[in-house]
Amino acid sequence: MNGKLYWKQKLPLLLLNGAGMAALTVFLLLNGINRDSLILILSVWGAVLAACLAGTYFHRKSQMDKLLNLADQLEERYLLPEVMERPARADDQVFYRLLKLSGKSMLEQVSEANREQADYREYIEQWIHEIKTPITAMKLICENHKTEFSSDLLVELEQINRYTEQALFYARSEHPEKDYLVREIRLFDAVHRAIAENRYLLRQYNVQIVLTETDDCVYSDEKWLCFILNQIIVNAVKYRAESPRIRFFAEQSGNEVSLCIADNGVGITDSDLPRIFEKGFTGENGRSASQAATGIGLYLCRRLCDKLGIGLSAASDEETIFRLSFHINDLIRQVQG
Amino acid sequence: MAVYKIMILEDDPVIRTELKNMLCGNGYDAAAVSDFSETITEVKKQAPHLILLDIKLPGTDGFSLCSEIRTFSDVPIVFVTSSNTDMDELNSIMLGGDAYITKPYNRAILLAKIASLLKRAYSAGHQDVLPYQNTCLHLESGRLEFNGQQIDLTKNELKILYYLYKNAGKICPRNDLIDFLWDNQLYVDDNALSVNVNRIRDKLASIGLHDFIKTRHRQGYFI
Repeated sequence: MNGKLYWKQKLPLLLLNGAGMAALTVFLLLNGINRDSLILILSVWGAVLAACLAGTYFHRKSQMDKLLNLADQLEERYLLPEVMERPARADDQVFYRLLKLSGKSMLEQVSEANREQADYREYIEQWIHEIKTPITAMKLICENHKTEFSSDLLVELEQINRYTEQALFYARSEHPEKDYLVREIRLFDAVHRAIAENRYLLRQYNVQIVLTETDDCVYSDEKWLCFILNQIIVNAVKYRAESPRIRFFAEQSGNEVSLCIADNGVGITDSDLPRIFEKGFTGENGRSASQAATGIGLYLCRRLCDKLGIGLSAASDEETIFRLSFHINDLIRQVQG
Repeated sequence: MAVYKIMILEDDPVIRTELKNMLCGNGYDAAAVSDFSETITEVKKQAPHLILLDIKLPGTDGFSLCSEIRTFSDVPIVFVTSSNTDMDELNSIMLGGDAYITKPYNRAILLAKIASLLKRAYSAGHQDVLPYQNTCLHLESGRLEFNGQQIDLTKNELKILYYLYKNAGKICPRNDLIDFLWDNQLYVDDNALSVNVNRIRDKLASIGLHDFIKTRHRQGYFI
């Protein structure tokens, strides 16, 4: 509570009391009171007034400090009206009521918005599952009836599927814990799956794939890992240079195993490198290439990696290398014997 | 080799037909169910070697069908579905499904899963030697035999020869061959294919087998 302001607002009261004292003095002097009695009366008045004012000031101050403290401790401050005691003073009660009213209406708004968002997310997931039926049908038709156009169409279909997957994972990335299935997966099985999901794209641009296969296994969710690999592969193709090549290899160091995806594309400038995982960041390559970069792919990768506990880093030298590091948990292996 | 019968339980008619075409094109006998009120009777009647089961079906769902089928049969069941939540995957495994594949199917992965499940379930009928003229391709040991002489093949060379043997006498367009190799996790481009084929030819020449793989210019290879 601002003390200066408090006392400034008490000024009219003090002036009124001063005027009252002056009027009393004049009245008593006219009635022939002696000086000592006058001083006694005035000082008693003054003392009572001072005690009264100081008392209410400190009382109010402690009350207000208590409320401020309470608000500080609360994690969800908007719950304050629910937690605080009902004040005793009539005018305070009015504010208390107002606080409650506004809090309630805000809570209604928030829960309404939350519900709408959840509904929307559910709808998006539903929609994505439905759109997959026609995508599957088209893919099968193209694969079963090879014509001169079918491979071009398959590239486009892969692209459509990639965008729908991206939307799905974006919708899910908020609460991935609802959709985990962590189990032992062979790193290169996930790589094979990711390559298969992009085969038409890779073949269209004649991308050379170099695999240094190992049998390293990690504990993670294959579906999410594949999604991350997809994004990295697509970027490597998007920002390719001449005779594109993507290398996949694994490295072990200490209690970590890393899966590296290296491409010989245009590379990432040093100034862009620290920001490539930011949402909406497109960088020099994204703007200059005829490709419209959305700045979503790598942002999602980072977000998913954070949630999955996978380390994600990028370096760009002669090759652009994305490195996914997995913690090797010996505990699990020991338990499994 | 016996022809395996695969049953397709899928409600989308286009996917049903195309899936059937794809399976038939890959040497399987495919049967599709279009009326889902008598599915179980149909399964019993047809007695397929493997079932492709969609989760969302009119009037019922794949999970309950799966547990019902399990009461009388151990036939391998592959769940194919567009919903790729882990709950569904877990459910399908718990109820006795053998594999779980999400739409849009990756042709290669679907065919590979089907082949490996069939091999595991009915390995007795599995054929691992491919004869052609006076040569023999041994798939298990990865060798090629000619006139009592043998050469060892690498995994990749075996994959290439396997395709040529399977299509013996026909011209295999380079693109189809590359497609097949990609399906089998060998990611070669046009140049690499030529390199691989030449390497095989050198090996074949070392046991006196010349001009075994022939090139048809601008079309492909054939034996």
